[in-house]
This record gives sequence, C-alpha cells and structure tokens, in this order.
Amino acid sequence: MRAVGWFARSVTALVVICMLVPLIVVVGASLGGGNEIAFPPNGLSLRWYANVFERQRFLTAFQFSLLLACAATSLSLVIGLLCSVALVRYRFVGRDAVANLLNSPLMVPQVVLGMALLILFSQAAIVSSLIGLGALHLILAVPYTVRVLSAALVRLPVSLEEAAVIHGANRLAAFAMITMPNMKPGLVAATMFAFVTSFDNFTASQFLVWDRTTLPVEIYAYAMIESDPTVCAISTMLIIATVAIVVLAERWVGLETVTG
Amino acid sequence: MQRALPTERNATPLLLLLPGLLTIAVFFAAVVTTGATSLLDAQGGWSLQQYARFLSDGFYRDFVWRSFRIAGYCTPITLLLGYPFAYTMSRSSPPVRLTLTLVLVVQFFTSYIVRTYALILVLGNNGIINRPLLFLGVIGRPIPLLFHEAGVAIALILVPLPFMIFPIYSVLKNIEPNLAVAAASLGANRTRTFWEVTFPLSLPGVLAGIVLVFLFDLTAYIMPGMLGGGYFNMIANFIQEQAMAVLDKRFASAISIVLLLVTLLILYVIHVLGSRLRGASG
Repeated sequence: MRAVGWFARSVTALVVICMLVPLIVVVGASLGGGNEIAFPPNGLSLRWYANVFERQRFLTAFQFSLLLACAATSLSLVIGLLCSVALVRYRFVGRDAVANLLNSPLMVPQVVLGMALLILFSQAAIVSSLIGLGALHLILAVPYTVRVLSAALVRLPVSLEEAAVIHGANRLAAFAMITMPNMKPGLVAATMFAFVTSFDNFTASQFLVWDRTTLPVEIYAYAMIESDPTVCAISTMLIIATVAIVVLAERWVGLETVTG
Repeated sequence: MQRALPTERNATPLLLLLPGLLTIAVFFAAVVTTGATSLLDAQGGWSLQQYARFLSDGFYRDFVWRSFRIAGYCTPITLLLGYPFAYTMSRSSPPVRLTLTLVLVVQFFTSYIVRTYALILVLGNNGIINRPLLFLGVIGRPIPLLFHEAGVAIALILVPLPFMIFPIYSVLKNIEPNLAVAAASLGANRTRTFWEVTFPLSLPGVLAGIVLVFLFDLTAYIMPGMLGGGYFNMIANFIQEQAMAVLDKRFASAISIVLLLVTLLILYVIHVLGSRLRGASG
C-alpha cells in the first residue's frame, strides 16, 4: 500500500509548482536584455545587475539593512538566551505569564506595530531610524529567539550541567562549555529567524524610515514606480542568498530544527 | 526532569529576564501611546470622535468588510492546498521529504517583497498565465488578475502557505504510525483511516494554521499594495495611507486599535476553541 494517495500527491505537486515557478520567472527575467520585463527573457545580459550596483540608494539601504539585521540578531540572541534560561531552568510565580508576555509582539499586526512605534518615537522626539528600527526589529526578533532557544534548552537535561558543577566547574562555565554546544541546532535556527525577521521586514519598518531606509523599503518603492527588470536582479540575488543559507543550515544542523 | 538547581536565590530569574522585559516594555509603551492618541479629537481634547468617525462611515467600514471577506475565502483554499502538502511531507520517504522541506523552507525564508513581486510577473497581462493563453487564442483579451481582487487573492492564498503547512506537519509527523496500521488491520481502507483516525488527531495543527493564515490575510499590506496597485487596498493599506499620506495620526491610531482588538478577539476565540478540542480528544 502506498503511504500517500494520488490526491495528496497531485496537490503537493501543484503547490511545489506554485512555489517554484514565480521564483524561476524572476531569475529568468533578471537576465533579460530588453527594457521590459519578459519571460522567457529576450536576449541575455547582466545589465540589470549592473544597474543595481550603480544605484547608490540600493547599496546604502543594503548596508543599513545588514547593520540592523546583525545588531538585532546578536542582541536578540543574548536576550533570548537569558530569558530561556530563566523560563526553562527556574520555577517562579508568573512564569507562564512572562512567557506569554515575551511572545506578545507576534500577536500584533505588523502595520499596527509600525504605527505604534511611530507614535511613540515621535512623541518622544526621537526621529532616528537607527533607534526606531533597531527597537522594532529587536521587539520582533526576541519572541522567536526566546521560543526557539527555550525549545532547545528544554531538551537538555540539567544533570549534564550538574555533573560539570560537581567536577568543579562554576555554573557559568558549565553552561558555556556543556549546554551551549548542545544547543547548536537551536542557536542556528534562532539566528536564521532573527536575521530574516529583521532583514526582510517591510510593513512595520516603512513607518520608521525618517533619515535612513532599508533594502525592502527601497525595493518596494522602486517596484511601484519603475517597471524594468532591476528588481528582478535584486530579487535573484536575495533568492540565491536564501537558498545558500538554507542549504548550509541543512548540512550543518538539519532542517528539522527549523520546521519544528 | 526540569527542576531548579538547589543553590538558587529568587532574584536570579528576574535579572535574567530583565533585558527581555525591557524590550517588551517599549512595545507596550508604544501600544499605550497609540491608544491614548486615538482618543484625541481634532482639537486635541479627549473623545471617542475618531472611533465614531471610523464606525459611522460606510467607506471606511468597506475596508474592514473587504479584508474579512478576502481572508475568509482565501484561508480555506490555503488549507486545502497546505494540508495535502503537509500530509505528503510527513508520510514520504526521506529523500522526498527532504526535497519538500527544502522547497518549503526556502519559500518561508524568501522575502515577502520578492515573492509578491514574482507574482506580478506571473499574473500580469504579459505574464506567463495570460501570454500563452492569448497566443493560443484560448482567450481574446488578458484575464484581469493584476490590479484586481483575483490577483490579490491568489497572493494571499499562496504566500502564507508555510504558515499553514508547518503547524499541520509538526502534528502529523508525531502521530503514532501504528494507529493507521491498527485501523487497516481492523478493516478500514485508507480513506476511512484518514478521516476517522489521522484527520481528527491533526485538528490542533489545522486550527493553528487557520489562525495564522487568517490573521496574515486580514492584516496583509504588501500583497494588496503591490498586486492591487492601489485599486484594491485592504485595512492595513488604509492605516498606512492615513498615517503617512493624509498625516492623520489620530485617526490612523484609532483604526490600528480597532484592528488590534479584532486580532486579539480572534486569537481569544481560537484559544477557547483549542482548549475545548484538547479537552474533547484528551
């Protein structure tokens, strides 16, 4: 008996097509030589890639997005690690309430979150994109790092650390040398979630681009005005980067950590 | 298995949580400030004027109705596409499962802007759906997809698929495979085994997927923005427009609070339903 029937297999094939075809079209169209977007491309050229690198605004926005994503990722990993230790390894009054509280930003629609931070920071007369977007991306990334790292920590028995303590290590050393290495899959998954959450965020971020803009905001603005294949070229580079990261993660820790 | 180490004092967890709680405090401060802003009238006095304005005008209510309507019919279609995918993924041989997981995870981590933009190329009048049909003479003029509800709906069905598939998959893969074997040995065919054993056990995942996708669709900004091209704005686009173009932050705050309350209400109802479900099956 086959495990999966024809209906489930056909729908799965259809979904795979729906997921892959648009991305293939973008990659194909980015290589076009004409001024219009076409698939299959008419003529092959890399001129739209050149156009991306000639435009200072894409490069500046990319640098700022990268800076934000690195800052939000590293800070949210530290915060997430501290919180998950508190939530998993300690018993205290209101522990479930705190866990829900740390998760609460994910329940708020992106547009409301962006709007709310815009109101808060304009009231406080802080109109710096670095501070505003830094706060936003941290608020969005912390729930993921807390959740993923808690799930990783819960699987590790505390007795491993206790054994190290009995043999003379202090608590911090035991955690750093015994627990942390065993959390590697969780740490990799948390890093991916945090980085992508920050780097790709558009809907909430567009409210806070006072003095600097991010790459998604620039791409959206360009795509709404121009209709040449430049956005296809940027998209292709982002798709390639995503595929590379996912394949690396699979090789390194396996994707089961990501799919949960 | 999980217990505190014997030497701990009570202040330690609070200190560990402090940076996380500070981050959340900024978030709550922002929501409270927005709530306060929404209660100011045009002259700056306290009133419910913004809410009255939003609720009394049919033009504004239309955005809410339209968002609910489109989320209401896109979510079941996403379920219909996502469930068989999750099922196939959970029951396939390791190589097939790995391939499907790779496709899904790449999809999940690819930026919304890129995935939505890609759909413009597929759905446009010159896109890969319309052009071959026009060329073959199947249709006389392009099917109106881009800048119409159909295009936005297609995006809202396809883009949130990972949010439907992940929770269903994580429930399905943990269902004891011997249950299906037992059902088969008792004479149930595959269809009956699925509907009477597997599907009921997977309901918590289905419920989680439905909530995530419904809320994604209800509050979507990028898909109506890019594929609707201004002709098919939903509630999130309207909030953004009021805040950033009309510069009426008090009104935008009021609509934001309405959207937030609607979201929390839906989450609460689903939470109650989910508890009943667990109570019934356990």
